[in-house]
Amino acid sequence: MAKKILAKTGVFILLAIIVIISLVPIIWVFGASFKTNGEILSGSLSLTGPLSINNYVNAFRLAPLVAFYKNSVVVSIVATCLNLIVCSMAAYIVVRCQFKLKPVITLVFSLGLIIPSAALLQPLYTTLTSTHLYNTLTGLILVYAALGMPTTFYVMVSYIQTIPYTLEEAAYIDGASFGRTFFQIVLPITRPAFATAAVMEFLLAWNEFQFALTLTGDTTKRTLPIALYYFKSAFATDYGAMFAATIVVIIPSIIVFILLQKQVISGLAAGSVKG
Amino acid sequence: MFLTPGLVLFAFVFLAAIVELFATSFTDWAIGRDISFVGLKNYIELLTTDKGFPTSVKNTLVWILLQSTFHVFIGVSVALILAKKKWYSNSVRVIYFIPNVISSAAIGMLFTCMMNPQFGLVNKLIEKITGDPFTQNWFMSPDTAFGTVTATWLPYAGLVTILVMAEMSSIPEEVFEAAKIDGATSFQSDIYIVLPLMRNIIGTSTILAATSMLQKLDIIMMTTSGGPGYRTMNMPMYLYQTVFSNNNYGLANAQGVLLILLGVLCLVIIRKLYRMDED
Repeated sequence: MAKKILAKTGVFILLAIIVIISLVPIIWVFGASFKTNGEILSGSLSLTGPLSINNYVNAFRLAPLVAFYKNSVVVSIVATCLNLIVCSMAAYIVVRCQFKLKPVITLVFSLGLIIPSAALLQPLYTTLTSTHLYNTLTGLILVYAALGMPTTFYVMVSYIQTIPYTLEEAAYIDGASFGRTFFQIVLPITRPAFATAAVMEFLLAWNEFQFALTLTGDTTKRTLPIALYYFKSAFATDYGAMFAATIVVIIPSIIVFILLQKQVISGLAAGSVKG
Repeated sequence: MFLTPGLVLFAFVFLAAIVELFATSFTDWAIGRDISFVGLKNYIELLTTDKGFPTSVKNTLVWILLQSTFHVFIGVSVALILAKKKWYSNSVRVIYFIPNVISSAAIGMLFTCMMNPQFGLVNKLIEKITGDPFTQNWFMSPDTAFGTVTATWLPYAGLVTILVMAEMSSIPEEVFEAAKIDGATSFQSDIYIVLPLMRNIIGTSTILAATSMLQKLDIIMMTTSGGPGYRTMNMPMYLYQTVFSNNNYGLANAQGVLLILLGVLCLVIIRKLYRMDED
């Protein structure tokens, strides 16, 4: 009996630590983002003082956060659409058609999994400068759409495999073309997988830092994670604004995840079990 | 025809870059100098005379080792606990995953603030408890920098937990019932029945955990930039500096090749250790 209580206490402590380390940094920064610099420096832990949104006003004044936000939204949405269309078409072919080069195609789509993205820092910079896509949103969109290829591909392949072929057969008998069957019969059925892959790709593009930093040059083309780097290097003394900027960057990711957690969780499972 | 867009995208982003990476890793190529073939010179320089690269490799290897053991262990333990389907299981799982869905740049920022010597929550709490002023500079002092950076990723094993739990839900209920009838405690059935069945997914998680250490650039940049000295320098950060501070592209791309090879090596070793090629 004593052993059981001990085990229960251990479990409870472990889970409490897990919850604390996951939430406390976010909650603390959130709370501090409504305080003045003086209050932050004095380190009062209470939330009693007058709360103000001044820091948020400052954050938006110090860094072009509105432009960054707009860029992030455009890049994430377009990259997600491009990635989904390209990968679902390829996944469909790989599931339904028999051809000699199939293993090669699968390899091509999974290669991104074993290439650490830092290795491509300099080569991708060359690629984009030589095609005049350096410092453009188009460049970032193409890179992000490609980075998400493995996950989307596996999510789509494992879902299309579960669709019975009879449906498509019926469409062909009715005289539908290959393309029409795909777009009008197959795609609508794969909506759940689409949603999963879309969330994953959106989060990837929204959160990506390394290429956003190295493949764009001026503030009109940068995405939100870079805003944090700005605050760290340029306005490192305005703590309140820095806290506010951090919250502004992470809130969308958290909302998307909380709302679409089912899709994220099933997507991770499908994407990695195969890989 | 349907494959064309995917192949074009792959060729543009990955193939061209990989070819360039390997080809230029054998050249002397830096800003203001013409590119010329030098054979293995970059590799030899990195492995013998370079002052930062060996340290960056050593740190990266230590982090890979920590991540593929402790990190995976924490994730699997939490999965086994949460799989007992209590009222809090799903909430804890979701909360635990939140740090994995926000930008790592933001994680770096959160930790920079939490660990700040003047106003960081950690030091303030220590002051409250001991009553004395406490101004440990966690990220910048040579004794604590490595440990503090490690703390930004080692405990956050939400991904491992989710993967293992997803796989566990595929174990048929009868297996547990049979174990129970045979008198096994839930701890025993976890160790002797669940874990062996989870071998593949734990192997996969280990591969993901290990290879994620080859991509940790954002957190390092937001916290220590590899310092103090080379105390928290890892391979991506050193590569970044070689490209954008020293503008030595040939040398950087040789590092890129080694980074890829290390990734493949991790993959092969972990697959062997977990016997993932069987069945």
